[in-house]
Amino acid sequence: MKKKLVSTIFFYLLVTGIALVVLFPFVWMLASSFKTQVDIISWPPKFIFSPTLQNYQKVFGEQDFLKYFFNSTIIGAVSVGLSLVLGLPAAYSISRYAQKKLAVFILLARLMPGISFLMPWYIVFSRLNLMDSYVALILSHMLISLPIVVWIMSTYFSTIPREMEESAMVDGATRQYAFFTIILPLSGPGIITATTLSFIFSWNNFMFSQVLSMEKTKTLPIAVYNFVSYAEVDWGGVMAAAVAIMAPAIVLTMIFQKYVVKGLTMGAVKG
Amino acid sequence: MRKILVFMLGALTSLCVSMGAMAQVKEIRVLLANHPYGDLLKSAIPEFENATGIRVNVESLQESQLTTKLTTEFATNSSSVDVFMTRPLQEGKMFYKNGWYEPLMTYDFSDYPKNVMSVSTFGQKSYIVPLVTEWQVLYYRKDVFKEAGIKVPTNFTELEAAAKKLNSDSLAGIASRGKGAAAVTQASSYIYNFGGLYLDKGVAVFNSKPAIDALRFYGKLLGNYGPKGVTSMSWENIMPLFQAGKVAMWTDASVFYGQIIDPAKTQVSAENVGIANFPAGPKMNSPFIVTSWGIAVAKQSKNKDLAMRFLEWATSKELAAKGMLANITMARSSVWEDPAILAKVNPGLVETRAYAAKFGNPLDRPYMSAVGEARDLIGELIIESINTRGASANLEKMAKEKVAKVNEILEDTGEYGK
Amino acid sequence: MAQSSFTERNLRILFPLPAIIFVALLMIFPVLYTLFLSFTNWNLTSGAPFSFVGFKSYARVLAEPRFLHALSRTFAFTFFAVVIEGFLGVAIAIILNRAFVGKSVAKLMLLLPLVATPVAVGIVFNLFYDPTIGLANFMLQSVGLPQGLWISSSATVIPSLILVDVWQWTPMITLIVLAGLAGLSEEPVEAARVDGASEWQILRYVTIPMVMPVILTAVILRLIDALKTFDIIFAMTGGGPGYASETLNILGFKYSFEYFRMGQSSVILVVLFLVVFACSLGIMKLRAASET
Repeated sequence: MKKKLVSTIFFYLLVTGIALVVLFPFVWMLASSFKTQVDIISWPPKFIFSPTLQNYQKVFGEQDFLKYFFNSTIIGAVSVGLSLVLGLPAAYSISRYAQKKLAVFILLARLMPGISFLMPWYIVFSRLNLMDSYVALILSHMLISLPIVVWIMSTYFSTIPREMEESAMVDGATRQYAFFTIILPLSGPGIITATTLSFIFSWNNFMFSQVLSMEKTKTLPIAVYNFVSYAEVDWGGVMAAAVAIMAPAIVLTMIFQKYVVKGLTMGAVKG
Repeated sequence: MRKILVFMLGALTSLCVSMGAMAQVKEIRVLLANHPYGDLLKSAIPEFENATGIRVNVESLQESQLTTKLTTEFATNSSSVDVFMTRPLQEGKMFYKNGWYEPLMTYDFSDYPKNVMSVSTFGQKSYIVPLVTEWQVLYYRKDVFKEAGIKVPTNFTELEAAAKKLNSDSLAGIASRGKGAAAVTQASSYIYNFGGLYLDKGVAVFNSKPAIDALRFYGKLLGNYGPKGVTSMSWENIMPLFQAGKVAMWTDASVFYGQIIDPAKTQVSAENVGIANFPAGPKMNSPFIVTSWGIAVAKQSKNKDLAMRFLEWATSKELAAKGMLANITMARSSVWEDPAILAKVNPGLVETRAYAAKFGNPLDRPYMSAVGEARDLIGELIIESINTRGASANLEKMAKEKVAKVNEILEDTGEYGK
Repeated sequence: MAQSSFTERNLRILFPLPAIIFVALLMIFPVLYTLFLSFTNWNLTSGAPFSFVGFKSYARVLAEPRFLHALSRTFAFTFFAVVIEGFLGVAIAIILNRAFVGKSVAKLMLLLPLVATPVAVGIVFNLFYDPTIGLANFMLQSVGLPQGLWISSSATVIPSLILVDVWQWTPMITLIVLAGLAGLSEEPVEAARVDGASEWQILRYVTIPMVMPVILTAVILRLIDALKTFDIIFAMTGGGPGYASETLNILGFKYSFEYFRMGQSSVILVVLFLVVFACSLGIMKLRAASET
């Protein structure tokens, strides 16, 4: 009994330690975003200070952050949605028919260094008159999310026993019917994991948006990097902008997380 | 089947035509830098739109992103940019050689000093309208100097003595950029004052005795009395240190004066911040004074008339005067002669500019189209010198290698000896 | 009926086809373009039109010491980052793979670094590492350790960057492995327990082998991104001090957008692609082996 208590205490200490390391940079960023420049650059670092909202006023007043937020959301959501449409059947096929070469081919998209896409895409998209449209950015971001979807989902489908759809097929259903009606409904947890991850990658993408986005389609990471402007490093402003980027994503994560946990426990009780 | 094809072709054509018609709307695309003058233009653009009926699609970018974007668009021959801000010394030669600048045949350049125009003119034609001028100065802490009982240094011997005297655990005696390529511009005045140059008539000469002496001096100063980690510092790292009161002297461009006396950003009160002429070296005193930003029309622009109208407006005397009042040191001569404007500009800026304009050097880096690569090579020397506090036994050998490499690049690009 | 049987017979082609077409369309031109440029001497600073030079650009880049340093630096960064993340990630997943109070909160916290935009993370850590006003040195000082230069010194810049990478991406491995653990059937574990195996033995010989494909999937995803790490290095050091944190991707970017040597930068990108390809292939072989 005593041994169990000690191990429980040890366990919680461990978890707390992990949590501290994980959370620390966020706390520091959040604190700094409420500091004046003078407080940020003082030594020793100030842990107690009178908070100011001026950094946030600057971010939301001088920069059109709501627009950039909207752009990032649209581009992320549509590209992930389309990646699921293309990726789920592909992942199923890869998992059930053991199409290793196919998997490698789709993974190739992730292997290419992003820089090598920039000039060619620019040529193609501008010839097609797609610059400064969401289409160019959505297509480019799909190249990020599709491989994630395919890879996570092909692994996930492999954990679902073949008997699931085979028993339905014995009853006369086609395989594609079984996929849509039996396999997909069982795949919620995997899909949500894949969606979360690929949305995050799209949300945070810097390189593609840097060249392919223009004023109308500018995304949040570009806006933040832009904040490091020519004549000053405005630490407070940058921290506030960083918070503004991460806050909506964190809220979304909290919502998604319930599904992730639910899905995970569901899977754990018998696949 | 054929009917469908014809119909689709028709639809496609009409789509193209309507898109063409949309382009007829008077509209231009302008790329600006994240720079105080870029901000000023951006906020004034609605006035231009109202007065002319031209719609301006404006985009502001951080300076290196701006170069990346312009290069991608121009090099792929697919740009829709009409007017853009540009750095004459950094990208001017390359953009010119690739034919990306439109020659400005109708623009009146008479209000710009000759040495300023030298970097925006190629052959008989001028391509860039200069916007902003910067020169090197010495920022210092008046209170610290008073306490130590020393005078503001006017030459390198005094500069070193002051740095040595003021340096302590909590205060760096002197700061200047040490981050390789970024340091090249700030080391230039040191090299000039020792009697050296980066390039002489299209040949790399920064391994000359005076240039090496200057690099050693720069390394000795920063290695001994500079802030911690100075070899990874550009202005954006040094400025917060100065604002935090951790630096006694700082040599850098004049543009930062406004920020370091801004009470919202600094712990050092404005009356304790001094600005002085860059100190003289053993040979001369010729700090750089350069056109840091200009503005140009894109050769690929399909709306050149509208673009020229925007350019004329963006470089007008009225806007230049507005810039001066916002502490932006403009390139136009007339705004520096207008007493009404000068009355509102900080006297420290006026005095140091007068000095630099008289004796200064119009270049702060090797002026060549492959300047980025050359800066990285010279940057290696600066880092080596700082890391060894100016005592590197390898410096001459390294400099010789880097000179050979820069000359090789100059030959690659057909600029050697020109 | 005939139609549906056609669909069913060709499902293995029809299901993946749209994804294949999409990837091919978006990739073929860039791949060919990059390859094409790598055989030219296109250099925007010369202002001259490019010509074909065969393998000359390859010869020049591959002989360049700076390139070789960047190559070995890329390997070192990736190796240490992925190994540390792999071990920590799996360890944390195993620790958290039990019922406890606050589990959902713990999982939520783990998700946070993943959501953090790398460019912004880089800037936050820049402030953290600043040798004069940064918190990192304050922490060292308060426990009586000598202060460090972190990303400001060539000696410590790579470990400092690895630390940031580990902070941000260990949770991704944890997340994926947790999902894998949750999907496992309990029977083998129960069986082992009935046979009297210790917890450690169950972990070592039952759980980990079962979840190995998932671990390796996570590692592949991580490996690819670590080899191509760009945002964090770009935002924090730009490859400096000097060239001390210059990886292949950063070097490729510099050659393209700072030196404008398009031909030679394409060579660097081709090499980077081959490196990523070879490494991933190696791990995939492992994954295939672990599945059988």
